[in-house]
Amino acid sequence: MSTQGSVESELDDFDNKALSILVVDDDRTNRLVLNALLSKEGYKISEAADGQQAVDSCLETTPDLILMDVMMPVMDGYEATRQIKAMEVDAFIPIIFLTALTDDESLAACVTAGGDDFLSKPFNRIILQAKIRAMLRLKHSYSVQLQQKKMLSNHAKQEEQEQLVAKKLFSNVVHTGSLESPNIKYIISPMSIFNGDMLLAAYSPSGSLFVMLGDFTGHGLKAAIGALPVSEIFYGMVAKGYSIGDIVFEINARLKKILPTGLFCAGSLVEFDPEYQSISIWSGGVPDTIVFHPEEGIRMKIEPKNVPLGILEPNTFNRSVQMYPLKEDDRIYLYSDGVIEAENAAGGMFGQSRLDQCFDKDSDPDFLFETVLGSLSDFVDGKSQTDDTTCIEILCNASHDQNETEEWKSKSRSKIPLGWDIALDLNADALKEVDPLPIITQTIMEIQGIIEHRERIYTVLAELFSNALDHGILGLDSKLKQSAEGFAQYYTQREENLNNLTDGFVKIHIRHDAVDNKGQLTIHIQDSGKGFEYQDQNTDMSHNTGHSGRGIPLIKTLCREFEYCGNGNEVTAIYEWEYKN
Amino acid sequence: MSVMAEQSGSDTIIKIVGRFDFNVHQEFRNAYEGADGDFVVDMSQTDYIDSSALGMLLLLREHAGGDKASIKITHTNEEIKKILTISNFQTMFNIE
Repeated sequence: MSTQGSVESELDDFDNKALSILVVDDDRTNRLVLNALLSKEGYKISEAADGQQAVDSCLETTPDLILMDVMMPVMDGYEATRQIKAMEVDAFIPIIFLTALTDDESLAACVTAGGDDFLSKPFNRIILQAKIRAMLRLKHSYSVQLQQKKMLSNHAKQEEQEQLVAKKLFSNVVHTGSLESPNIKYIISPMSIFNGDMLLAAYSPSGSLFVMLGDFTGHGLKAAIGALPVSEIFYGMVAKGYSIGDIVFEINARLKKILPTGLFCAGSLVEFDPEYQSISIWSGGVPDTIVFHPEEGIRMKIEPKNVPLGILEPNTFNRSVQMYPLKEDDRIYLYSDGVIEAENAAGGMFGQSRLDQCFDKDSDPDFLFETVLGSLSDFVDGKSQTDDTTCIEILCNASHDQNETEEWKSKSRSKIPLGWDIALDLNADALKEVDPLPIITQTIMEIQGIIEHRERIYTVLAELFSNALDHGILGLDSKLKQSAEGFAQYYTQREENLNNLTDGFVKIHIRHDAVDNKGQLTIHIQDSGKGFEYQDQNTDMSHNTGHSGRGIPLIKTLCREFEYCGNGNEVTAIYEWEYKN
Repeated sequence: MSVMAEQSGSDTIIKIVGRFDFNVHQEFRNAYEGADGDFVVDMSQTDYIDSSALGMLLLLREHAGGDKASIKITHTNEEIKKILTISNFQTMFNIE
C-alpha cells in the first residue's frame, strides 16, 4: 500500500475536485445561505425543497454528500434518508442532518434512519465545514476500499476462469490413460493438478500395466508445470516398451533441468506384469507401498529406496528397480502422504496405523478400497479436505482385461529371436573395478531389442552375480542380512573382503536361442568358490526371508528353469520371452 | 525467533525451534546466506517438518557446494527421521 505521504496527496486531489452536495431544506433562506457558503468552498451545490424531491434528485444523479433537514412537507428527512440509503448500491453517500431539534431522541432518530452525523441549527459554519470535510474523507477511503475489493474479486474471478482453462489444457496432456481399467480403483482430487498430485496409468506393448503416482512439492502453477513433461515422458516411453528404470531416469533428468532447487516430485512407478506375475517398483519420497493378499492381510510393505525425482543429477541418480514376485489376488496400494497426513477438526492426523488397520484379512477384499476411503472420511469427519488425497488400488490378477493391450502388440521393438552367445570372465582385479551387469544387460538389449524385459533380466543377472561374488568368492553368510544390524555389518565386511581379494574369478556365459516363437536366454555363472550343498537350496527356500528376501524365490518366478550344478559354484537359469510380432 | 544461527569454529550451526515449514523459509535462508564452511542443522527443538523443509535443506545443500557439501542434521526425533528417510535424505546429508 501507499505511504502516509501519498495518502495525503491523494486526499488533496480528492478535495480539489468539484464535489457535489445536495442541500435539502424546505426553507428557501436556509438553502440560499448554505449554497452561498459552500459554493465559496468550491463545492457544486444542488437543492431539494422536501424529502421526495431529494429522493428523486438522487435517482437522477447521486451527490457526494447530502445535508438533510428533518421536518419538511411531503416527506420528512428521516424517510428520505431511509429511501436514499436503501437505494444506494455500491456508493457511500454520507448524510448529515441539520436540524432545529435538539432533544436526544430526535437526534438519535437521525442516526437510526441511516444518517451519518448531525448538527443542530443554528450551526457554526466552521464546524459544519469540518464535518463535511471529515465525511468526504470517510467517503473517499470507503470508495478506495470498494474499488480494491472490486479489483480483488475481478482478479479472483479471472483466476478461477484461467484455472478452468488451464485444467482443460492440462487434462489433455496429463490424462488418466488406462486408469479406468477394471482392475484399478483410484481417487484423486479433480483439481489435483494444482495440488501437485498426479496419477498416470498405461499398458506397455508386452501387456504390463504401468502406474505412476507423483506428488510435487508446493501447490499451484509451479507444481502443475512439472506435471506436463512427466506425463509426456511416461506415456511416450511406456507405449514404446521402455522399462521403469529407463522411464524414471528420463523423468528425473528432465525435472532436474526444469525445477528450481528445493522443488521436487516424490513418486512411485510400478509395473505389474501379468505374464511373469511380478511387480517392479521404483519409489522415492512417498509412503510405503502396501501389498495385500486376502488370506494374509498386509503381505509386504515396500519402502521407498530413492531420493525423490528432480533432485539428483543424472550421473548420481539411482535408476535401479526392486522386483517382487506376486500371488494371484494380490492387491497393490499406492497413496500420497496426504492420506497419512489427513487432519481432523481436532488437528489429529489419520496416520499410518489407522490406514494399516483397514487392511484386515477378514474384510471383503472387493470393498477394501471403499473401506480405506470410508475410514479416512469418518476420521476427518466433515473437515472439508480430501483434496490432497490420492490413492490407487491395483488388483493383480493374470486374468485381467487384456483387450487394451492387443492394439499395442504390433508396436513391440523386440527383434525376431536370434542365436548368439557372449562370455565375460572377470578375475580378482576386474571384480574390484568393473560392474559387469549394465554391460551385459545393454548388450542383450542391443542385440534383441527386448527392452520391456530389461528390469527382469537385470534382476536375474544381478541376483546370480551377487550370489557368486558375495557368497561364492567373498564367503559372506546371507543369514547376516536377516537383521538390520547384520545388514550393515554384511556390507562393511563385503567391502573389506573385496579389497583384500587377490585370487578368484567369475565367469559369465550368456547364450540366446530361438525356440519356436520364443527367445531363450540361458545364463550360466560359475565362480571360483568352493560351492555349497545345494540339494537343500534347490528345494527349501524357507530361510530366505527378511532383508535377503527376494533372492532365489524371485529368480524362480521369473525364470523357466533354474538350478545349481557342479559343487554348487555353478548356476544356470533360463529366461524365456515370447516374440509377439 | 524460530531459526537461530551460531558459529562454532568453522561450523555454522542452524537451530530451528518449533515447526520447520514454509513460514520460516526467509529466516532459514538468512541463517546460511553469507556463511560458508560446514553446516549443522540442529533439530533438537524442532517439532515437525514438511516437504517444503526438505526443499529448504536442498537449497542449503546447494549453497554449501552441492555434492561437495558437508551438512550434518542432528538431534532428529523419530517422526522427523522417518520423513527424512522416506526421501532417502541420508544419502545426501549426514543424519544423526
